Amino acid sequence: MKKTFKGRPVIAGMAEGKAVVSRGGFNAYASFYNSLAEGVQIAICADRGNQDTYGKSLSGKILCIPSSTGSTSAGAVWQRIVGLGIAPKAVLFSHTIDSLAAGGLLVADIWVSKTICVIDQLGEEFLETVQEGDWIEIQENGTVIITVSKG
Amino acid sequence: MDNLDLLKIQLSQDERDILRGSRGSMMQKVMETVVLYGEALNAEKLIPIEGPGHFVISFSSPGIAPSIKMLEELVAAGLRTQYQFTLDPRGALDFENLNLKPEVERALLDMYEHQDYYEQLLTKLGLRDNQAFTCNPYQPEVGNIPDRGTILAWSESACAIFANSVLGARTNRNGAIMDLLSNIIGKTPLAGLLTDEGRCASWLVDIVTDDLPSPHLLGAAIGRKVMADVPYIVGLDRFLSPDLDSFTVDYLQDMGAMCATYGAVGLYHVENITPEAIDFGQDLLKSEYSTLRIDEPELSNILDSFPQLWENEKDVPEKCFIGCPHISLRQLYWWAEAIQQELKLVGQEQVAVETILCSAPQILEKFMKDKEVNLILKSAGVKLSPCCCETIFETGLKAGHPVITNSNKLRAYSSARFLPDDELVQVLVTGELTEAAHEKDL
Repeated sequence: MKKTFKGRPVIAGMAEGKAVVSRGGFNAYASFYNSLAEGVQIAICADRGNQDTYGKSLSGKILCIPSSTGSTSAGAVWQRIVGLGIAPKAVLFSHTIDSLAAGGLLVADIWVSKTICVIDQLGEEFLETVQEGDWIEIQENGTVIITVSKG
Repeated sequence: MDNLDLLKIQLSQDERDILRGSRGSMMQKVMETVVLYGEALNAEKLIPIEGPGHFVISFSSPGIAPSIKMLEELVAAGLRTQYQFTLDPRGALDFENLNLKPEVERALLDMYEHQDYYEQLLTKLGLRDNQAFTCNPYQPEVGNIPDRGTILAWSESACAIFANSVLGARTNRNGAIMDLLSNIIGKTPLAGLLTDEGRCASWLVDIVTDDLPSPHLLGAAIGRKVMADVPYIVGLDRFLSPDLDSFTVDYLQDMGAMCATYGAVGLYHVENITPEAIDFGQDLLKSEYSTLRIDEPELSNILDSFPQLWENEKDVPEKCFIGCPHISLRQLYWWAEAIQQELKLVGQEQVAVETILCSAPQILEKFMKDKEVNLILKSAGVKLSPCCCETIFETGLKAGHPVITNSNKLRAYSSARFLPDDELVQVLVTGELTEAAHEKDL
């Protein structure tokens, strides 16, 4: 079964991939803490405080979160992991994007010139619907299509 | 930027001209970044920054800072911030104070290989001076103290929340790099915590504890529930001074740092204590708000939820870091006296756990002029450092080692074990975890 949601494209683009879902705020600094060195091939979430994502690969995934939390170092963290080519393919926010994520992801887009799709304002139902491992397609206009695997 | 008319944010003619390249391609790129940031935040427009900055980007290590290449491009274009700025503390490179293992020192030197050059570039971009490195910049000895109402574009989550809440300045929680770019443009988006509406509270937090709670636990309890919202806190005025004395300021600094670590809180109001709460009281609450009641069991639950990350939980503590965020002059004296008293109590001359107190360079300089207290600390084996102790853990080499701290923020970003102040002072003197700490492991 497919379910469609419409959000606001903060950084427009097309992408598809498997969902990694954080039900609580996503701390980018804590999550990518161990993935910032040159030569790292894959970003494994290092945030022990987030049991939804801890220990999971975030590279190439569609990261689904309500908003982000924690250190303001996150701005540079996003630039770095996008530059290393180990970022998620897209970040989808149920809420309006927060200042940390907005700043970091825009700097990555403009200064690293590697775009990852960012859609926000997808709503509470989006985060209630999407499950770990669901296949997600993202369109330029902010349409997000989830192929629901469970429930 | 192809079509400015598609943007919702209102732009001045000057801003539009810059976006079309009137002041060069680098300024155009900086402006594009700040404008799109404002668009993402649903800002009405950009407004002028009115005071010095404070940024999180003190480390040259990749991933925590802008790249050297990016800084070189900004410098080459002749750009600099409109006001000078202070930075977070330097990494742990003052090895004489830290007694680190050689492999940890090597890892730190690798991480900060380009630190000197990095700082040269930041100086050209507006860094105030070569001692402007602390995460407590509004201490009087450091002097980056914005006036109430001043529009800023600060980063460092602990500093942004303090500037908003205790000083009454106005800044959003800007991320690393966006802090620098906004201050180069000299403008920041009018959105969120810069607006009157954005500074209203959607949570009433009622503190019902019998005693003043640990700021590290209280901040965590608030942050994890409130997330990015603004809390209005009642009940703390039973314990804190409306005069914002140094004890109150230190308490609010530590509490705010934890609110920002556990959540994304950028502003809190404390009834009868913080400036906007004094002026407007509960009128700051939105018409609809949620209520959070915090009692002793709630704080105990937070303490019990901390995972034990030492390789061997029965290990003897090896090091103790105090000062994340950097402690004030008053706190330095408090720790000196507490350690001295505990040593006398157990009849020892030196602490059993290597202890490092971290504070701003200007505060340490002033403190070190007090020869008597310094001699006491030196004799006790306690070291002072201006570094960011968290950076030692970023080498990965200390993960799992038995380190203790009174900072819940340091605990959250490392494998260090948190102990409340009164318990910590006993442990660092005796070298043995107290019964309470052991019971928690059972």
